[in-house]
Amino acid sequence: MDRRRVLGLGAAAGIAALMPGRVMAASDPVPVLTNWTKLTLQLVRHTATYSPPVAARAFGYLGVTGYEAVAACDGALTSLAGQLNGLAPLPRPGDGAHDAAMVLQAALSAGTAHFFANTGPSGQRAMATMRRKLDEQVTAGLPEDVAARSRALGLAIATHICGWADGDGGAVIGNMGFPESYAAPADPAAWVPTSLVRQQQAPLLPDWGTVRPFAMPAGNTCSLPPPPAYSEDPASAFYAEAMEVYTATKALTPEQNLIARFWSDDPMLSSTPPGHWIFVANDLITRRQLPLAASVDVMARLGVAMADAFIGCWQAKTTYNLLRPVTYINRVIDPAWKPLLNTPPFPEYPSGHSTVSGAAATVLTAAFGDGYVYDDFTHEREGLDGRAYASFWDAANEAGISRLYGGIHFRAAIEQGLTQGRCIGAYAVALRTLA
Amino acid sequence: MKGMIRLLGLVLCAAPVAAQTVPQFVEETTPSGLSHQFTGEWEYMVGGGVAAFDCNGDALPDLALSGGTGPAALFVNQSTAGGALAFAPVESGIETEAVTGTYPIDIDSDGITDLVLLRVGENVVMRGLGDCRFERANEDWGFDGGDAWSTAFAAMWEPGESLPTLAIGNYINQREEAYPWGSCTDNWLHRPAGAGYAAPLPLTPSFCALSMLFTDWNGSGRKSLRVSNDREYYEGGQEQMWHLEPDQPPRLYTPDEGWKRLRIWGMGIASTDLDADGYPEFYLTSMADNKLQRLVTPAPDALPDYTDVAWAKGVTAHRPFMGEDLRPSTGWHAQFADVNNDGRADLFVAKGNVWEMPDFAMADPNNLLLQGADGVFVEAADEAGVASTHAARGGAVVDLNGDGALDLVVVNRNAPLQVWRNSGPVGNWLGVALSQPGPNPTGIGAWVEVRTGDHLQRHEITSGGGHVSGIWGPQHFGLGTAEQAEVRVIWPDGRVTEWTAVQANQTTTLSP
Repeated sequence: MDRRRVLGLGAAAGIAALMPGRVMAASDPVPVLTNWTKLTLQLVRHTATYSPPVAARAFGYLGVTGYEAVAACDGALTSLAGQLNGLAPLPRPGDGAHDAAMVLQAALSAGTAHFFANTGPSGQRAMATMRRKLDEQVTAGLPEDVAARSRALGLAIATHICGWADGDGGAVIGNMGFPESYAAPADPAAWVPTSLVRQQQAPLLPDWGTVRPFAMPAGNTCSLPPPPAYSEDPASAFYAEAMEVYTATKALTPEQNLIARFWSDDPMLSSTPPGHWIFVANDLITRRQLPLAASVDVMARLGVAMADAFIGCWQAKTTYNLLRPVTYINRVIDPAWKPLLNTPPFPEYPSGHSTVSGAAATVLTAAFGDGYVYDDFTHEREGLDGRAYASFWDAANEAGISRLYGGIHFRAAIEQGLTQGRCIGAYAVALRTLA
Repeated sequence: MKGMIRLLGLVLCAAPVAAQTVPQFVEETTPSGLSHQFTGEWEYMVGGGVAAFDCNGDALPDLALSGGTGPAALFVNQSTAGGALAFAPVESGIETEAVTGTYPIDIDSDGITDLVLLRVGENVVMRGLGDCRFERANEDWGFDGGDAWSTAFAAMWEPGESLPTLAIGNYINQREEAYPWGSCTDNWLHRPAGAGYAAPLPLTPSFCALSMLFTDWNGSGRKSLRVSNDREYYEGGQEQMWHLEPDQPPRLYTPDEGWKRLRIWGMGIASTDLDADGYPEFYLTSMADNKLQRLVTPAPDALPDYTDVAWAKGVTAHRPFMGEDLRPSTGWHAQFADVNNDGRADLFVAKGNVWEMPDFAMADPNNLLLQGADGVFVEAADEAGVASTHAARGGAVVDLNGDGALDLVVVNRNAPLQVWRNSGPVGNWLGVALSQPGPNPTGIGAWVEVRTGDHLQRHEITSGGGHVSGIWGPQHFGLGTAEQAEVRVIWPDGRVTEWTAVQANQTTTLSP
């Protein structure tokens, strides 16, 4: 099957903005999608509870929101209701003309406000400004009754999806995702806190593996084999993995150092790893002028895949509860060693960035094709030049190995994470979007 | 050395003070007549400063208060020595709107303290005229007030200059409504030129500074500029420190020089030499965990490589210590000060939610962390009576009634300012004021050392830091049970006075 065709990339760019049979002049809905996505990336960075799993969840729901808003106005697209776990049939348009841009604008503004209700004053101000400005753009020249009808439909879709989201087990985040306490098992292999930050003395979101997935059946659907058995024996596989991290980080080349920083994607300092991939997709939509249906399709699948990736990854992290390289290396190899990157405050195996990157590469490869060459400008505004990739898997593999260069993951966590991501991403690719 | 001792006429009892004595603070906001608010919405989510300094020569600190959308105000201190706090508003010339912060400094070295008003819009330097009156001096001094959202200040005298070098920290581009992130505007360095100031020098890159401080961090005798930045708004930013060499452009410390990248919601800087090793420690307020930085290898050729000892010293102050709201805290003004006069610096931290940020505590009490003999701090704000849960911003720990016990004034956002009188018990104390002829009459950049037995305390005389709040007046030292102490000064030009014995419970003025 030609997946590019399934995703609509082969369709004409000018998908009707108004419902068939009720065509009126209307604005282009694509900027509505890309502008809200840009703002969402900022909100992720600037909302304290938005650790990578929480961010991925929001991208998943907002991706579905955008897709369903467009699907409601495009008879060629079929709803994801019944395909995504727990998603009941969505509101459909009634009589009268609807404007796709207005439906999308209403749905995304309401959905974004819901998922970022706890952002700070600047985020609230930015959302209000975005809503006002896009409202002005999409309603310009639009009959009032069409605008009102379209707004009502968009709000109904957002309300439906937000209600669906509220029941997934991941809607409420207390203490920025950290439990109040943690008692490390009496096992030398067990994760122990690695940070001097008081709040981070317990693992982040230990129950995230039980959050309801979007497309894959369950959190453990793409389960992994265990990591190499813990051992302090220099002849052991585990010691060899740790020594690989130690050796590599002691002799990083400038390029390896740059790779580690490029994919660092720290929460509260960036849009997080899933945000990195959302940026790439949003940028491609704009630069390559993707048609509307293809744009919302790829955003929905990407969001779904990455949200599921964190659920599956966290399920495995909790199962294996493995210590971080800094703990082992300081204990066994070199008490003074420090990793290049801040060690994340949760268990090591598998690597979250690897899992999510594997899932993202799976979706984007299906959408854009193998060997799709592109430039990644995610961190350009922070002074890091864009990087060129020969394919999405080229990028995903680099994202994976960046965690070894950064000194925060062993190789097994990277390789198995990418494998897990490929498995999880396939469920998002299998979603049916053409009617 | 010309040591001049001036008795204040009030001597507290010299009863022994046990470790961790918790002084009792009595709130006297309403009876004191100190009625003022810092108000405003988005442009005033940060700011809210107070300047505590004597503007009428009665040795009691008066208060210049920022008002945000309301006018700034000056309150003259009418307290009686050791008595209840009393203030009266006066028309002083600073009654302008959009003021975020206030810092006192004698810019023209005429013996009358001037004021720097940080604003959303043009900053204004106000020349002190005496008797708590001020006039605008931007034009006379060639000071370009700019048109930014200013939120940080620091000052020092560079060698041979008649005017101080002023650093102004700027925040977000206030006109960026939709995407404020990444819009940090340049901080400015105002260096003297002739009888006034040269055109400001942009400190590029700038990362939304909320506190700045000139400090001799490595005991070299040269000052560097530390800048604490709010990561909420910068892109590619971090905490910063600038080289300031005479006649050279400012230059950032680099990783090659040992500077380590740290990215926090930097809101305030407090410094003191906690272990009296000659190298100050720095407390950086933020959201959730706050930082206490100590040099990894304190030595004359030290690299600016700091380790965070906040947890070990008990000063993370990362969440409310009382009440049921256990969400992470938001820290603003911080100040080391010995509130029980036991000879050890304590730490006050103003706390308050930025503005309806539900991921952070809304009922966020201020901290008063008392340092024990082991160097570990213990929370005492509730027991001391200062655990207010208003949205605090700036503040000053300062002796408002001249009794040798440090009192507390806190500026809250969109809520009344609060003031507390320290009713003790406290130990003996010593005030040390500096005076020298010519420029820099109050010795900014000097170190004051006070010795009681084998216990040494060291204060660096700075202008800046905290959160948009500054104090100008004698340095306060707690002496515990000691009836006398020895004091000396290391002046900014490197001259060192002899150790001089002084009696406790008075303010002494030292000159070179």
